[in-house]
Amino acid sequence: MKKIFNIKFMALVAVFTVMIIAVNACKNYLDVPPQGQITAQQIIKDPVQAANLVTGIYNVFYVGGFDPDIESLQYVFMTDVASDDADKGSSPTDDGDAIQIDNLTTTPSNGTINLVWTGYYQGIGRANQAIGVLQNAQFDATTKNKLIGEARFLRAWFYFNMVRFFGGVPLLDHVPTAAESNQDQYQTRASADDIYKLIIGDLDFAVANLPEKGSTDVGRATKGAAEALEAKVYLYQKNYQKAYDLSEAVITGGKYSLVKDYSLIWRENAVNGDGGINNAESIFEIQAGINQDCSSGVNLYVVSQGPRAGGKFGWSDLGFGFNNPSQSLVNDYEATDARKNGTIIFIKPTGTVLFDGFRIPGQDSVQNSTYSYKAYHSRTAERNCGGNTDHLPKQLRLLRYGEVLLINAEAAFQLGKTGDATTDLAALRTRAGLVATPPTGINLSSIWHEHRMEMAEEHDRFFDLVRQDGVQPGRAAAAFAADGGKVWKATNALFPIPQQQIDLSGGRLKQNPGY
Amino acid sequence: MKKISTFLFLALFMCWGLSIHAQNTTIKGKVTDATNGEALIGVTVSIKGTTSGTQTDVNGAFSINAPATATLVFSYIGYASQEAPAGNGQAPLEIKLGAQARELQQVVVVGYGVQRKRDVTGSIGNVSGSTITRQVANTPTQALQGQVAGVQVISSGQPNSTPQLRIRGTGSLLAGVNPLYVVDGVLTSDIRNINNNDIVSVDVLKDGSAAIYGVRGANGVVIITTKKGKKGPPVISYDANLGLQEAAKTIQMANRQQYTAYQTDVNAGSLSADKSPLTYPGSTNWYDAVLRKSFEMDHNISVSGGGDNNTYFLSASYLDDDGIVKTNGYKRFTLRANNEVQLTKKLKFSEQLSLTRSVENPIDAVSIFSNVYRAAPLVIPQDDNGLYGNTSAWGNVGNPLLQLNKINNFTSTNRVQGNVALDYDIIPELRFHTAFNVDGNWDNQRNYLTQFAADGSTFTTGGGNQYQNNSSLFIQQDNLYNFNWDNTLTYDKRFDKHHVTGLVGYTSEKNRFSFINATRLNVPNNSDQWYLDLGDPSLATSISNNGDKYTRQSVLARVNYDYAGKYLITGSFRRDGSSKFAQKWGNFYTVGGGWVISEEDFMKDQKIFNYLKLRASYGQLGNDNIASSLYIVTGTPNLPYYFNGQLVEGNAIQQIKDPNLKWETTNQLDIGFEYAFLNNRLTGEADYYKKKVNDALINVSIPAILGSSSLTYTTNAASFQNQGFEFALKWADKIGTKFSYYASANININHNKLIGLNGGQYLPGGGINGQYVTRTDNGQPIASYYVLNAIGVFQNQAEVNAAPANSLGEANHVGGLRYADTNGDGKIDANDRIYAGSYQPKYYGGFNLGVKYSAFDLSTDFYYNWGNKIYNGNKNAKGDLRDNIDADFADNRFTTANPSTSVPNVITSNTPPSTYFIESGAFLRLNNLTLGYTLPADVLKRIAISKLRVFLTAQNLLTITGYSGISPELTPPNTNVTAVNAATVGGVAASSASILTSGIDQAVYPVVRTFSFGVNVTF
Repeated sequence: MKKIFNIKFMALVAVFTVMIIAVNACKNYLDVPPQGQITAQQIIKDPVQAANLVTGIYNVFYVGGFDPDIESLQYVFMTDVASDDADKGSSPTDDGDAIQIDNLTTTPSNGTINLVWTGYYQGIGRANQAIGVLQNAQFDATTKNKLIGEARFLRAWFYFNMVRFFGGVPLLDHVPTAAESNQDQYQTRASADDIYKLIIGDLDFAVANLPEKGSTDVGRATKGAAEALEAKVYLYQKNYQKAYDLSEAVITGGKYSLVKDYSLIWRENAVNGDGGINNAESIFEIQAGINQDCSSGVNLYVVSQGPRAGGKFGWSDLGFGFNNPSQSLVNDYEATDARKNGTIIFIKPTGTVLFDGFRIPGQDSVQNSTYSYKAYHSRTAERNCGGNTDHLPKQLRLLRYGEVLLINAEAAFQLGKTGDATTDLAALRTRAGLVATPPTGINLSSIWHEHRMEMAEEHDRFFDLVRQDGVQPGRAAAAFAADGGKVWKATNALFPIPQQQIDLSGGRLKQNPGY
Repeated sequence: MKKISTFLFLALFMCWGLSIHAQNTTIKGKVTDATNGEALIGVTVSIKGTTSGTQTDVNGAFSINAPATATLVFSYIGYASQEAPAGNGQAPLEIKLGAQARELQQVVVVGYGVQRKRDVTGSIGNVSGSTITRQVANTPTQALQGQVAGVQVISSGQPNSTPQLRIRGTGSLLAGVNPLYVVDGVLTSDIRNINNNDIVSVDVLKDGSAAIYGVRGANGVVIITTKKGKKGPPVISYDANLGLQEAAKTIQMANRQQYTAYQTDVNAGSLSADKSPLTYPGSTNWYDAVLRKSFEMDHNISVSGGGDNNTYFLSASYLDDDGIVKTNGYKRFTLRANNEVQLTKKLKFSEQLSLTRSVENPIDAVSIFSNVYRAAPLVIPQDDNGLYGNTSAWGNVGNPLLQLNKINNFTSTNRVQGNVALDYDIIPELRFHTAFNVDGNWDNQRNYLTQFAADGSTFTTGGGNQYQNNSSLFIQQDNLYNFNWDNTLTYDKRFDKHHVTGLVGYTSEKNRFSFINATRLNVPNNSDQWYLDLGDPSLATSISNNGDKYTRQSVLARVNYDYAGKYLITGSFRRDGSSKFAQKWGNFYTVGGGWVISEEDFMKDQKIFNYLKLRASYGQLGNDNIASSLYIVTGTPNLPYYFNGQLVEGNAIQQIKDPNLKWETTNQLDIGFEYAFLNNRLTGEADYYKKKVNDALINVSIPAILGSSSLTYTTNAASFQNQGFEFALKWADKIGTKFSYYASANININHNKLIGLNGGQYLPGGGINGQYVTRTDNGQPIASYYVLNAIGVFQNQAEVNAAPANSLGEANHVGGLRYADTNGDGKIDANDRIYAGSYQPKYYGGFNLGVKYSAFDLSTDFYYNWGNKIYNGNKNAKGDLRDNIDADFADNRFTTANPSTSVPNVITSNTPPSTYFIESGAFLRLNNLTLGYTLPADVLKRIAISKLRVFLTAQNLLTITGYSGISPELTPPNTNVTAVNAATVGGVAASSASILTSGIDQAVYPVVRTFSFGVNVTF
């Protein structure tokens, strides 16, 4: 039996060895951190990463195209194509969603509205993440409040567009916890007033905490940008006094002035110090550039609006041909208005030569007859990323001094300060090569006419028409009737809530009237 | 850990309790098969007139204590029993048993051990190496097709493609549906490195018996065992075949005349461009333009043998498959060394090691065959001056021949796979086994895009959008290294009529993967200069590097008990830890029982059944085959932006993750019969199974307001069920001495459905013309087609006017498809879609016939698949009206002269998915037909050859199908061209997209038909 005892002993040793390995290894063998990734936990603990979260909000402007969208093609559909300023463009059947929007027949299942809804909530989500993490980040108070101010400015930007598109939307002012995320509070629509309260709260904070232009990096939100945006918000609220005060603050602050040549506002390069990116007129502008993987620009913004051959071959065309300035817009320019040729590329029978020398062939080789000049980005004279045209570094001027003058003019006029309005319009009209005073004098109509001509193809017209219709009912119907006889209904003022989002909320999101 | 240790010790104590048993003289010996000399495992050795006895071990050896005067009885199912005097034990006994029926005495590999097939209580399929090598197939997976009931193999003719294998249906969406492969102990998901000739057997664990592999067993386990040497002088084998390959079928597309007639009717304006040099008077068959006949060859040489203390098996192989698409090609070289050394009486060292190098010139099959299908027949592929026809200037698709010629893809793979192991017999009944298994894979990928312009230097006429402004070189290197370390204790003891086998074990596993890739532009067009340094550093470049790491750890145990070979009980347990989840540990188990009815006394006198067994098993298995950190919220770093004109990198947190994510759980019940009757000539099995997957992972769509960039949330919400029957039958007989034959057949009848989404949304899959095609929803099979019901063609304007308006795609028009207003609301929209079948087959299986007459042998292998539907995505997905059409469509479509009631006049990019595009996916294929001739032995003796067989074989000779596309067998596209190969090598699952779209035919590589000649020589 001794032999068996030995065997048992050896077996025991073997099993013990295995067990020791097992027990030791159990402690941490299975705790494998994610490889090649930064975890949310690491971001929350690191001040540098917290600051980078703010940069990450700005980056969200690059999304879009045929994906969730903030300032790209889908947004263009819902602002310019939706309005009387532009026709859908491209080939007649291209993009059924845009066809609906162009014809004022948008349905709840429309893909565009869902992409925009989704894109904006991504932006809001990034802003809320940053604001939440920054509360506890180790910074001095000024730096911290500046960063929070930027995040709140951007959040206000997103919500302002959302409330104008859809009316009241779900109000998320922080990142909901897992437990909160399905609560009615977030899954139902807040009132438009509550959204405006959030926007104004954010902008008040931004105005108070952001540095002026020149005291912060070019490209970051500034006090001036916050004032300009808040002035615009108040104009939509018909709070003309606040709109006037805030726009006046921008004007008298002296940080901004008009670019002399209207057509240079959207160019990349200044000409004799005038225009170009981040020019004297620019108040808030999407920054872009050339990085290694060609990802630093608004996705498809330029190429989706670029001139299209559309089967009429013989040249390498520049894009998909969406968003064509409409005949209604062309008709509205005064004869000598320099802004017409600064805004619109007209395809001429013999070909069109653009500012950079690029020649678009004649009408028989091009799908559409007009394109937006403001969305054009030169493949030769401006920055390019190899042959990759998806993220061409077009820097969208989201807020500019010209618009502030228009806000100021309208607010002043409503407050009876016709003199201020006259001065504001004179500056814009003189630049456009027109007589300083509108032929019909200073009145709401002439201010609004000026607004349309000045801001055409800058993704403002649909909102502005709806706003004007709220001040002077009938404006929108008349404008759409003049745009190929489209029929406007009051319920067109708001887009439908995307059906997919209603479904995902379990029916808790309620549809806008008329859909 | 306390529970585990208690369990381990209990198991061990139980073993010891049974180990004291010794008396009389020790008699040793070995039992072998009389015909082939192979060791017989599990032969019952008993002392006549007593109840004591033992069994032979895996080497056929036995040891028994008996009086010298006793008589030993050797009995083994399927063999004639034999008696021999015990003797004094001085000389080992050499017993040779004559076989009766081979099917039932097989040994099957059950995971961490082997068992006699007759003792198994689960459903395990077994395929011998010779069945595998009969097929002209690059991978063992492909050769399994039609051989095992319940095992569905979907393979493609594309060289180096990975055949898809489904065991008893599809049971997962996100965690992968392919089985676990175990090659000599190495756990892997990719066996393209294995030389078919090295395989001795393939065992497929189909039911709960796979629970011994725990969290990796849910999709079944395929265990591959490679050859070992046998004691004796060196045996040298040479096996080779040389074949000619061609596409078994292509689609007959419209020719010039049919195409121009069609264009005149639907797109007349296009024909104004029909003039030289853009078009030519001829008619191009684009399939002919890109396909070719090609050669394949396969050479294998092996040396095996052994001495008293060691055995060896060494082999080398070379496979060369040119592929039937121009510029495609694949070469594979393998080396294998399997050695065993008996160091001492009790200690054995072994190693099994294979080295594989493969070199592939992959092609982007999806893009090529999509363009081939669409390209206009009016354009010449390439003219005599080497200029290409400009299809993109004509119709907006690239010229596929140019596409092939201007891209140079090269991928080399080096893979080392194998193990070193020690076996120590602590006592004769108790063996300790430790094996260190490694799997390393190093890939080099190099893709070069040649610069060419869309002008007269490339094309017969300039224009269009097919150009490459800058040459581009992409290089990628992948590193993959996995190990798993197995430690087991096996106890095997027979006393009286009891037989107990116990197993306890501990394993640990680590998997690492990393890749680095980079792109540079303007690299010279010279293969000697295809290095990144030769590119232009000032132009856009990219570089990328990332990786993965995950671990697993397990303890396992199994007990088998049988009483008198009649009553069988099996239980196994595995506790698995996986780093992929926050809750790391899970328990998996199986219990099984068997009753060998034919061993009962009441069956002794009947002559019908030679063998009859009833068995049942129930097990719980898991599936953790998902990305490594799916439960951890991570940031998105390096989001570019510019401040002061300077690039800055931001980050964002935009994920919503389920912190409680866990493995998928599969519960499987299996009840089966095994039988042999009519003197063992008819053998077979029948099984019923019910396999339910709970906690299946799905991506649940979440409201956009939560800010997630993916808009989805991965969680354990869904459940699936696969339920069905399997039957396998084989008849084998001899007539006289020269003629023998066999016939076998198997069938699987499976019903697949999604039981519940549990709050998750249905999953849409596959997009065509802006609509999804499949929908995975409650009560329906996975990826069921959900489309409009096409009920004919509008014959006249009156019908159009009377019909409900169509808001889903193109407007109603004469000659257009008309759809059923299913919900009767007066309009055709997304609410009128219906379920219309799925790619899940109702029946599949194979049948095999073989005859042998004198020196000639003939065998056939058929495979069939019935009851599934294919969505002909090629026909539906029109990019442009200029796209070509099927010749059949051209002949039968609606025109005013030929007002068809079923075929529309035109399909456009607005035609919504409908039942019109759904076709039967049923097919029957003669996978293999082989005729062999073995030269007479007396002739060969003079030239020192022991066996020489020559054969002719045809692979995929014949397919019977009603499907109009190129092949009813649809495989996911080969991703080798651009994507990281990690998904297939590293064990990470195929994406859900491929499961949801697997029945949508959008450009597949044609099935390859091969005619080859081969030899088998043994020296």
